[in-house]
Amino acid sequence: MDWEQHVIDATTEVFSTMLMMEVTPELPRLETIEPFDHSITGMVGMAGQYKGMLAIHACDQVAMAITSNFLGLEVDSLNDDVKDAFGELANMLAGSIKAYLSDNSRDIQLSIPSAVCGQNYSIDFHPHRRSTMVPFTSAEGTFLVELQLEHQS
Amino acid sequence: MGKKVLIIDDSSTMRKIVTRSLRQAGLDFDTILEAGDGVEALQVLQNESVDIILSDINMPNMDGIEFLRQKAGIDAIKAIPVIMITTEAGADILTEAKSLGAAGSIKKPFTPDQVSDIIGPLV
Repeated sequence: MDWEQHVIDATTEVFSTMLMMEVTPELPRLETIEPFDHSITGMVGMAGQYKGMLAIHACDQVAMAITSNFLGLEVDSLNDDVKDAFGELANMLAGSIKAYLSDNSRDIQLSIPSAVCGQNYSIDFHPHRRSTMVPFTSAEGTFLVELQLEHQS
Repeated sequence: MGKKVLIIDDSSTMRKIVTRSLRQAGLDFDTILEAGDGVEALQVLQNESVDIILSDINMPNMDGIEFLRQKAGIDAIKAIPVIMITTEAGADILTEAKSLGAAGSIKKPFTPDQVSDIIGPLV
C-alpha cells in the first residue's frame, strides 16, 4: 500500500479545496526531524485496525501564513487560531487517510485533534511503526506531513 | 423572520470556515449561532429556535451521534434538520447518523458548491 501517495493525495485535496492553495510534494524525508525549532505541530492519533498518528509540521511564519489563508484573516502571532487551524488540518488529513485505509469507519478511530508549538520540541518516534514524512512547498513556504502507522493484527 | 443556523464544531476554525462557506454558497442566514459540542448545542437550543443545524461528529464531551440521539428525544427540537459536516465519511457512521434523524452529510474538505447543493434545499 502506497501510504506516501495517500499523504500526497490527501494533502493536495485539503489545501486546494479548503485553502485554495496549490502545494507541491517533494521527495519524502528519510529521517525524522529532532528537535523542531520555532514550529507548530497539529496532530491526530489513530487507533484500531491501524495505530499511529498523522501530524502536520510548519515553522511559525509558515503556520501563520497558512492560517491567514485558511481563515481569511491577518494572523501576526502564534495564537490559538493557529493552533486550532493546525489541529483541524491534521483532522481533515487523518480523515482522508482513514478513508483510504478502510471502508468501514469503525475499524479506525481518530482522536480529538491537538497542537503543540515551541522553540525546541520533539515528536516521539516509534521505530516499529512504518513512518513517512512528506515535505510540501507552497507560496507560503514549506511544511511537512508525517504519517506513522502500525497495522494491528 | 430571518433564518437561523446553529453550527456545532469543537474547532473555532471550522466554525469560521463553515460560516464563510455558507456565505460563498449564497446561503444568507440572518443569525449564525455556534456551539463547541453537543452539550453546548442542547443548551443553545433551549433558548433559540433555529431552521437548520450543521454538526461535526468527532467532538469532546458530547459527539455528533450522541447529540442526534439526545435531540431525537426532545419534542421541541427533534424536527429541526441536521446536516453532519465531518471527516467521518464511513458509510456505517453516516448510516447511524441517518437512522438518528440526520438529513444528510458533507465530507470535509468541502467546497461552497457542495454546501449549496446539500443545505440549500433544506432552508
